[in-house]
Amino acid sequence: MGKVIVVTSGKGGVGKTTSTAALGAALAQRNERVVVVDFDVGLRNLDLVMGAERRVVYDLINVIQGEAKLSQALIRDKRLETLFLLPASQTRDKDNLTPEGVERVITELRRVFDWVICDSPAGIESGATLAMRHADMAVVVTNPEVSSVRDSDRIIGLLDSKTLKAERGERMEKHLLLTRYDANRAERGDMLKVEDVLEILSIPLIGIIPESMDVLRASNIGSPVTLADARSAPAMAYFEAARRLAGEVLPITVPGEKRGIFGKIFARRAA
Amino acid sequence: MTKMLTDARSIRIKGRSFLAVVLAPDLPFDDWLVRLDDLAARSAGFFLGRPVVLDVTDLPIDRAQLKELITELAGRNVNIMGIEGGRPSILGQGMPPALKGGRPVSDEAVAKEPIIELRNSEPKPSAPEARPTLQSIVIRDPVRSGQSVIFPEGDVTIIGSVASGAEIIAGGSIHIYGTLRGRAMAGSLGNASARIFCRKLEAELLAIDGIYKMADDMAPGLRGHSVQLWLEGDSIMAEKLI
Amino acid sequence: MTIFNLFRKQRSAPTARERLQVLLAHERSSNGSDLVSVLREEILAVIAKHVQVDSDKVQVKMDRDEDVTILEIDVEIPLDAVSQAA
Repeated sequence: MGKVIVVTSGKGGVGKTTSTAALGAALAQRNERVVVVDFDVGLRNLDLVMGAERRVVYDLINVIQGEAKLSQALIRDKRLETLFLLPASQTRDKDNLTPEGVERVITELRRVFDWVICDSPAGIESGATLAMRHADMAVVVTNPEVSSVRDSDRIIGLLDSKTLKAERGERMEKHLLLTRYDANRAERGDMLKVEDVLEILSIPLIGIIPESMDVLRASNIGSPVTLADARSAPAMAYFEAARRLAGEVLPITVPGEKRGIFGKIFARRAA
Repeated sequence: MTKMLTDARSIRIKGRSFLAVVLAPDLPFDDWLVRLDDLAARSAGFFLGRPVVLDVTDLPIDRAQLKELITELAGRNVNIMGIEGGRPSILGQGMPPALKGGRPVSDEAVAKEPIIELRNSEPKPSAPEARPTLQSIVIRDPVRSGQSVIFPEGDVTIIGSVASGAEIIAGGSIHIYGTLRGRAMAGSLGNASARIFCRKLEAELLAIDGIYKMADDMAPGLRGHSVQLWLEGDSIMAEKLI
Repeated sequence: MTIFNLFRKQRSAPTARERLQVLLAHERSSNGSDLVSVLREEILAVIAKHVQVDSDKVQVKMDRDEDVTILEIDVEIPLDAVSQAA
């Protein structure tokens, strides 16, 4: 049985889709079977970031409505054998995303894949709550900036109350992925400190992704950043985050800092 | 037009709870009213001057039927102050307001002689001395933005932080073993001796017994410190805890 | 990151522009009644008229380009279905 991860944030534009693609590819690069699922019905973008926008025939809504089989809607990545995309519908109404349909699709995907990564739409409406509903763990994507931190806090509250795991009285595993981290601004003191964000949100950190041209370039050419340039700083950070998702324990690398200084945050995380 | 504020006194906003008699009619209403009349004949004036709440949960009635029932009751000097369990479609203009969140109480608290069948009316061994029991709850997780903890019964203790955009409302005191970034309202049902304690004060709003203090009104020296707050007269006092 | 990195790799913005142009041209022209999806459904319906096809054995692929769209329908037709139809 595969693991279901929701990539969520509350706020838009913080890097959910980029992170879904990069984490999905990073896990697939470890030869694990991965599907990335776009839940943003009406505003799909995961296909673009994955570079599969010209190959979309059927989508999640077609599968939910019984107009296509799951196997027909899945798009295999051209670069990685074990990476698949289930696109969202661009034209259909998001009311077609029914709880029963989502449950059926996720159950089926969980049987076939090692990782099912759900890219949540922004906001706290039904699309976002359906994307998180069946998750085993959550990746909360946050920018070191006040409104993003507050929205993430709100989403964490929903993860602890509106998911199947929460309703069963179990604990949802939540991980913080700090994105668009600017080492220069951090040094000048113009950005929330990593420690501050961690203290406010009090969930464990799985990675800090630096603000980088490489991320923009990767989405321009339609490739997850871990595939576009595996040696780049953001790609390395995503690889590390993927390893932590898979259960490895590694010290966190802070962009622009030498390793070691971060013993402090690592210790806090383990506490 | 902006009016000049010359009076520095703040406006007190308080929550208060009252005991109300809850009438839960059943269908058909005609039969039920006959039984009510019989009851009223045996204890005259029971409803006089009492707040009465009408519980219509699960009753398949429409707006006209509800209106007629309220008129019938008014004719018997039973004035309805609120309706519990009514679908929004049957409520509205000209109707008593909807009430929710009611909690059942024991018979003796409402009626001196137990003549009306109230819900939760299992025979209770009457204690020799009716002393209100102090209650408190402990929350072991951080309170997230958008969440509220409402506990009018007594004290609230939070082991963790209260996020910006979250709120704690307690009938008694509030204890926060973490950072208070959201709102805390203690003594919400009218309790001037309630206090607020927090390990780190970054609050958006504080209130004790209806007296409010916004973030801008707080002494800047208190920010980021361990603080306790209490009420003296009409002003909120604060001091650092070591 | 230094300014030299900008020269290290090929510029990506032209690629982004070209991808968006192709995509938006298709999305604008389709307007809900996508010619490709109409073709797809009608072709499948014609096949289904003659042979019983297991819908699991149908693969539909598409590749859009600037000038052409390639619609690829891959239907596995079992032998006994052919003999029945003959």
